[in-house]
Amino acid sequence: MSRFGAKKGRKLPGAEFSWETGDAGGEPDTAPTPLFPKYTVPRGRPLTAQEQLQVDLYRSLRERIHDGPYYSILDGATSAAKKDSAARANFDPFHGMQSYSGKYQKKKRALPRILGRQYVMKFFPRELWQTIQPTFRPDAAMDGYVPQVAAIAGKRGFEDDEEEEDDEAGKRRKTGGGEDEDAGDDGDDDKDVLDPDEEQEEQLEDDDFEDDDDDMGGDYNAEQYFDGGDDEYGDDGFGDGGGGGDEETY
Amino acid sequence: MISQYAAELCALLVEDNFGELFARIFSTLQRYDRLSFPRLKFYSRLSDRQLRHGLAAMIQHHLVYHYTSLDDGATYYEPNLQAAYYLVRSGKILELIQDRLGKYAATLMSTIMFLGHAQVSYLETLPELQPEFPKANGVKGESETGESEDQANGHGDDGHTFEQPALLHPTLKALASHGYLIRVRDAQFQSYADNALDAERALKSRPDVKQLKGKKLDETVLDGTLALLKEKLDGDLTRGLMFNGLPRGAKRRHANGSADAPNKKARVDYDDDEDEDEDEDEWSDDDMGGDTSPMESGLVVRVNYEKLDVALRNRRFLDLAELNSSPATAQVYDCLLRRIEYQTKQCRDSAEIPREGEEGEQYSAAIALSAVTDEVDPLLDLAGSIGPMEVSQPVNRRGKRPLEDGVNGTDHEASEKPSRIYEVDQHLSLLSQPPYNLTSKRMLSGLITWTVEFRHLARKLRHLELERVIEARYGDVALRVIRVLHAKGKLDEKRLQEISLLPFKDLRQVLASMQAGGFVDLQEVPRDAQRQPSRTIYLWFYDPDRIRSSMLEDTYKAMSRCLQRQRFERNRLKEFLEKTERSDVKGNEERYLSQAELTLLEQWKAKEALLLGEVARLDDMVAVMRDY
Repeated sequence: MSRFGAKKGRKLPGAEFSWETGDAGGEPDTAPTPLFPKYTVPRGRPLTAQEQLQVDLYRSLRERIHDGPYYSILDGATSAAKKDSAARANFDPFHGMQSYSGKYQKKKRALPRILGRQYVMKFFPRELWQTIQPTFRPDAAMDGYVPQVAAIAGKRGFEDDEEEEDDEAGKRRKTGGGEDEDAGDDGDDDKDVLDPDEEQEEQLEDDDFEDDDDDMGGDYNAEQYFDGGDDEYGDDGFGDGGGGGDEETY
Repeated sequence: MISQYAAELCALLVEDNFGELFARIFSTLQRYDRLSFPRLKFYSRLSDRQLRHGLAAMIQHHLVYHYTSLDDGATYYEPNLQAAYYLVRSGKILELIQDRLGKYAATLMSTIMFLGHAQVSYLETLPELQPEFPKANGVKGESETGESEDQANGHGDDGHTFEQPALLHPTLKALASHGYLIRVRDAQFQSYADNALDAERALKSRPDVKQLKGKKLDETVLDGTLALLKEKLDGDLTRGLMFNGLPRGAKRRHANGSADAPNKKARVDYDDDEDEDEDEDEWSDDDMGGDTSPMESGLVVRVNYEKLDVALRNRRFLDLAELNSSPATAQVYDCLLRRIEYQTKQCRDSAEIPREGEEGEQYSAAIALSAVTDEVDPLLDLAGSIGPMEVSQPVNRRGKRPLEDGVNGTDHEASEKPSRIYEVDQHLSLLSQPPYNLTSKRMLSGLITWTVEFRHLARKLRHLELERVIEARYGDVALRVIRVLHAKGKLDEKRLQEISLLPFKDLRQVLASMQAGGFVDLQEVPRDAQRQPSRTIYLWFYDPDRIRSSMLEDTYKAMSRCLQRQRFERNRLKEFLEKTERSDVKGNEERYLSQAELTLLEQWKAKEALLLGEVARLDDMVAVMRDY
């Protein structure tokens, strides 16, 4: 404000509009400011009953979504990760190891589970149709309307399966051989059967190295310490990499 | 383009609700705005599968817009920020629904929120919405249904199994006729800009439009685009479902009588379950009488946030009315607002809040006085809270008499029935008084009608909110200065001092600190070409628009900090919380956790509630500044 402040006078020009909040005498206050000035921390009011109810409803909906099929996380740090990879570096040596009580642990999903409910295909872009409905073949009918009807009909059967018995994963595994079918089963497993490896393995393979399974280091695998050979699905996700290897092929 | 903090907040909300994968996709899209699949894959560093599944699920939840271009056939994805932001309001919405339409409606609503959008036929199959709870719940429900359902079921089992074989369809209808649910249309999955462009293109290719030229063409295209857009986006379900201008299930407050009214005010979390059940039964009986035809099973529904904003806004006005009028008056006002709400689709017509002073008056739908009177609970004591009716009686002016009169008034009423309309009118007139002018009266072809001037009131709310913040930060002196500046426009210091009657010292202090905070600013008006400070006039001014937008940003920031804090606190207790979420521990906390752990869990819940409650309060502010 003292742009042309060459006026002779005791008062500095523009001093009456000084930013200093102190006296208008013109002397700027050069004293050091206190190191820890007194500060009253504002505190919020406690929640009212109504707000508490709102918060509870929010939390219950959120928890429901977390338990639902779509909640998915990113980190897949396990001890079986490739050496020098980021996932390996992030592995937590204290808590990352499997323990027995881990079987009660809430399962984390690395991929949203799409199958298992009805979708309205026309709301989705065409390039995702196959994800939503694995039986859909883009080259089978180019019409767009026909596959839609077929898709819904096909899904309904699938859906009923889902409703009746969730743990029929094994049966469906035999019948359906498609790669996305597998993904659906993984989802089921993770709800009913104890198999925490599957998700993580899948994640790993998805990441970057479906090509080299050899340098995992011998046949000792800490990941399978507890559910070694007795698991019927044990070899699917990891062992030979055969099942997972061609998941990327579509 | 969206601001930094709003973007941050939306990403945090998505992460809080749906997890990291969604958040990664969402924030990548936010950063680059519009991406095709390969580009998105490149930027987000996710695998093909993750991305495909993630995108599909996000489209299901309306978090991502997609658009397949006709030119190159490529599909582009865009973030839907509105939908992401509305995640924060879910608690409020559910509470509102629970308050208005009962617990089952809230459960249904939360299920629809959980599913994104849902076909009616699919909703029929869900176990948690079935009336026969006990079996479904014991086996399947535990993983699928959240806490609230369990609560509801625990109490509600007997209530539901009694008679209604299908509570679902009446409830769906009630929700739809209130406008809280809408039909999903294809166009809703594309962003507004894409839809507008599409409509414009379609219009321009029409032969009759092609012949037009110049200004006329522009006008036709503009009008046509808007009409086409409206038609494409419109998912309104209320039309067929209203009868006599009233949505279904809306009438229930009558029969409960005024005895129930105080009960509603003092609502505690789960105490009133039986009460609710009664309500539900009575209300759906009401409906079953009318028509029991189910909703079309092919219908796809989603939550209509715009309409819910209207409802939430009305509730806010009601709070304002409750502040300085009697409960009876507030209840009358509530009835008027309800009636108006049924005819209001959205809070305002323009997408952005208009600038201060450029906003026209805009009246809501007018409601006839008799309709409001019908709505008002017949048992409500209207006479007790306003002054005596007969103005001619001088006795009533004295101290004690009016009270007696109020007591006697009840049997007066029985004889003088028509006075009830008059009383309702009196209550509404009371509300129409300054400072808030909550209602306004109008004569439409001889009929007395009442309306609410929403734009004026929304502005009032905004100002009150700003004033509240200023008072909290800078004290009451600052508030006075701000009010003077707001009323008078730009003022120089001397004049300001004269009007506000403050000593110079206080005034300067407060002005300087407010300027530092950005609430007031100074304009220089030089009197000559040299712009000498001594020959320059300095004017203080207060610009509510500017303050509003900066305050909005601050609020976003505060909200995202709260969410970050919550995440941090969660991480600190990660091991412990994971233990409480174990499948064997959950539900049997008393059995498996030690006393200290139980206390810790309790503390954590309280802490989280505090943070989320704070976010909800800030969201109220955002609603006032942005949505209403």
